[in-house]
Amino acid sequence: MDISVRKRSQVQLIHLRGQLRLGQAVDELRQTIEESLGNGDTRFAINLAEVPMVDSSGIGLLVRFLASTKQRGGNIKLVQPSKFAVQTLRLVGVLNLFEVFDDDDAAVQSFA
Amino acid sequence: MPADPSAQPQDDELSELLNLQMPAESASVTAITDAISEALVRLKVPEEKQLEIGLAVQEALVNAVVHGCNNDPSKEIQCRLQRDARGRIAIIVTDPGPGFSPELLSNPKQGDNVYADHGRGVYLIRQLMDEVHFENGGNEIRMWKY
Repeated sequence: MDISVRKRSQVQLIHLRGQLRLGQAVDELRQTIEESLGNGDTRFAINLAEVPMVDSSGIGLLVRFLASTKQRGGNIKLVQPSKFAVQTLRLVGVLNLFEVFDDDDAAVQSFA
Repeated sequence: MPADPSAQPQDDELSELLNLQMPAESASVTAITDAISEALVRLKVPEEKQLEIGLAVQEALVNAVVHGCNNDPSKEIQCRLQRDARGRIAIIVTDPGPGFSPELLSNPKQGDNVYADHGRGVYLIRQLMDEVHFENGGNEIRMWKY
């Protein structure tokens, strides 16, 4: 799993590449978000365009941090989730917990 | 009488394509899931089915590691890939644990469960695969994709 993080207009824009699943991928994303939360960041846009699969551990992580950020007045929004990621999130009933955007700009601007 | 097309195939019709053993640790889950996915590519299974089977295997192996083996890498998990004459795919994951009662699992889509950070694995498997059986008291899952 490759993770890149950029800050745009007070939003942490996180691009993921690879499968978001138990092990290194979930551990690295958890660490990335925890560090940002520790620095006071609460607004996240996570681009899932290059994430072909998200397992239940990845889903649990996203849901957990969605709650954490909302408690701090922030949010986690999803950008361009792949078709199978959308299908998986819908299957377990969490897709509608997230705002989903077609591109990074729209997600970042939605926080304004 | 014509054969019931939905009937679970008999073992004697199956050919075993992979029989893998792994220690109960998350790094091995990735390796075995990738091995199964590569086999599905070689079998020319459609891409959508590859993803669905791959995720179901991932979830079954994670359950075996976490719940069947308590993350103890000295314990071993078996994962088999089989195919019947009609091209239907079977995956069997077996762990040495005490098993469990799948009917006692709560629905992750009900109430506050939707906000939980765990408890979706078996539900996902049932949604992704066409047929799922728990055997040997719950420490073996046998799942089919048609």
